[in-house]
Amino acid sequence: MVKVEHEKVIQILFKAIDEVNLQLPRAKNLKKSKDLILTGENSELDSLALVNLIVATEQKIEESFENSVPLAGEHWGSSQTSPFRTIESLAEYIRQTLEKKLNAS
Amino acid sequence: MHHNLLKALLISDFNIENLAGLLNNSDELPVIDAVCGPYGQLMPILINGEHPAWKQKPEILVVWTRPEAISETFRRLINFERVLHAKVLEEVDEFCVPLSRAAKNVKTLFIMAWQIPTSFRGYGFLEWRKGIGLRQLVMQMNLRMAENLNEVDNVLILDSFKWAEKSGKSAFQPKAWYLGKIPFGNEVFKWAVQDIKTALSALSGRSKKIIIVDLDDTLWGGVLGDLGWENLILGGHDPVGESFVDFQRSLKAISQRGVVIGIVSKNDENIALEAIEKHPEMVLRKNNFAGWRINWDDKAKNIIELVTHLNLGLDSVVFIDDNPVERARVRQALPEVYVAELPEDNLLYKNFIQDLSCFDTPKMTEEDRERTKMYVMERKRNELKIEVQSIEGWLRSLETKVKLAPFQKEDSPRILQLINKTNQMNLSTRRLAESELINWINQTGHKMWSCRVGDKFGDSGLTGIISLEIKGRDAQIVDFLLSCRVIGRRVEETLIWTAADYAIKQGLLKIYAKHIPTPKNMPCLEFFKKSGFLFNQDSDAFVWELKQPYPYPQSVQIEMS
Repeated sequence: MVKVEHEKVIQILFKAIDEVNLQLPRAKNLKKSKDLILTGENSELDSLALVNLIVATEQKIEESFENSVPLAGEHWGSSQTSPFRTIESLAEYIRQTLEKKLNAS
Repeated sequence: MHHNLLKALLISDFNIENLAGLLNNSDELPVIDAVCGPYGQLMPILINGEHPAWKQKPEILVVWTRPEAISETFRRLINFERVLHAKVLEEVDEFCVPLSRAAKNVKTLFIMAWQIPTSFRGYGFLEWRKGIGLRQLVMQMNLRMAENLNEVDNVLILDSFKWAEKSGKSAFQPKAWYLGKIPFGNEVFKWAVQDIKTALSALSGRSKKIIIVDLDDTLWGGVLGDLGWENLILGGHDPVGESFVDFQRSLKAISQRGVVIGIVSKNDENIALEAIEKHPEMVLRKNNFAGWRINWDDKAKNIIELVTHLNLGLDSVVFIDDNPVERARVRQALPEVYVAELPEDNLLYKNFIQDLSCFDTPKMTEEDRERTKMYVMERKRNELKIEVQSIEGWLRSLETKVKLAPFQKEDSPRILQLINKTNQMNLSTRRLAESELINWINQTGHKMWSCRVGDKFGDSGLTGIISLEIKGRDAQIVDFLLSCRVIGRRVEETLIWTAADYAIKQGLLKIYAKHIPTPKNMPCLEFFKKSGFLFNQDSDAFVWELKQPYPYPQSVQIEMS
């Protein structure tokens, strides 16, 4: 059974944050933290930053795992079950999805 | 606040915020403060000069559109409707009218060439057939736009095809389009930023002017001192030898664009020059180099010496050396020098040099094309200087002729180039767009002369400018600038004499010059200190009272046209 390391996905998300920060004013740069809130009232990301994060993450996941995890079609809500709550929850969602895909193929 | 912060307005039919963000975060000079026009307001902004988007008075306008956004007919064509292609070109013509009007509101208008996503197959193998293919039509649209705007001097159409090609698979982003109305991936925007910055840098006279190359394993394969010139890897039926010849050809090609070539190499000078002259496969010979420093000294020191000798600034240098240690040394010692990261594989040298954007210039003049020749002439002049004892004797032996002419429109490309590029012998470092220059010339009391300088070694071309603004009974020297290659040959005095002579004939009482200091124009201040003008502290200006004519420079033959 193929295992995907949670920490590896976190690092990919941090690289995606680096990419998003290239477009944000320096004062508004996102912190590379697992607790970074992605959606909802307390999120530091505006809608454009979230779009950029999703696109950069999808691209980097594909580069690293040669397998895609479509995030764009997912519901972006901030509910308890949404993967888009924090970097931590998004990483876990990506890890699980990837593992399922890699083990099915 | 940045000294040279340029305000940019970005307008588009799509979400262009990412380009604005990348432009604002780029530290490369000039620093840009970019804002996006409101979404969906492309045409209102272009048509209406009073639109709130213009309030911040941008110096730069960037217009980036998709072809289907400016041509309704093109939009129908991508749905394979039967519509005449000619109609699309009419719509391009219509779009160019507000574009050329908007160009008047800014110093530079950047327009990105139209393209369609690589995933759009269109009519397949009929895509290049006239009247059918949409890729063929997009090319025609771009050509039509380029032709329509060709005479608008401050419009630059940027090659977005190259950005898409370099960005590969991630160039077009259908997902980002649905999520945020962003058609392109970030790589495309990053390349766009690089090209915008390159163009602005070139417009402000910061194009690179000299490539300084190493010899061993850079211009040829192998170490000359070990192998002897007969055994260098250069040319012949050998992929490596062939790649070095091609690299030399590319360097020679760049020199045809006005970039001069110099050598800084750790070698024995006589042996190296012998190799350059005798090796049958050498493309670059002594006469292709503006100068060299071939010895065992520190390369950073040699670079300084060479560019000082050539009257160039360190920030105009590209240094090319195969040795990463030498590159690191120069990078650390001379941060102004652009140290190119030459690929390890010499088979890639040619492509690498051909891809460098730092030589781009906004205009190409005859003077640019002849620059290497002029530096070679200068080297010969200096050889004569060593033979002749006194400076005046040397100047007389040069038989310098200065041909002066009042401003004429056909000289404006070169005049603008001098105005916008000259740093050292430049009184006010006033930078102007063509429209600003013409506007200034047309005002009463404004007068400008340019000069062409020649001597027994050849013609240096249009290399100097002086301009006057008459204020009552006095005249201010507004522009006084001279190309580095004719500094110190009494052309300075000739320009002043010309302006003073004119002022006397107009019955004026004095002429004066205000030196506006920059980090680079100290040579101009030094000239005025020795020019005979008196410095007046109250007016902070160098003054010449016209009751006495300015001395006629004896070692120069002056011709007035």
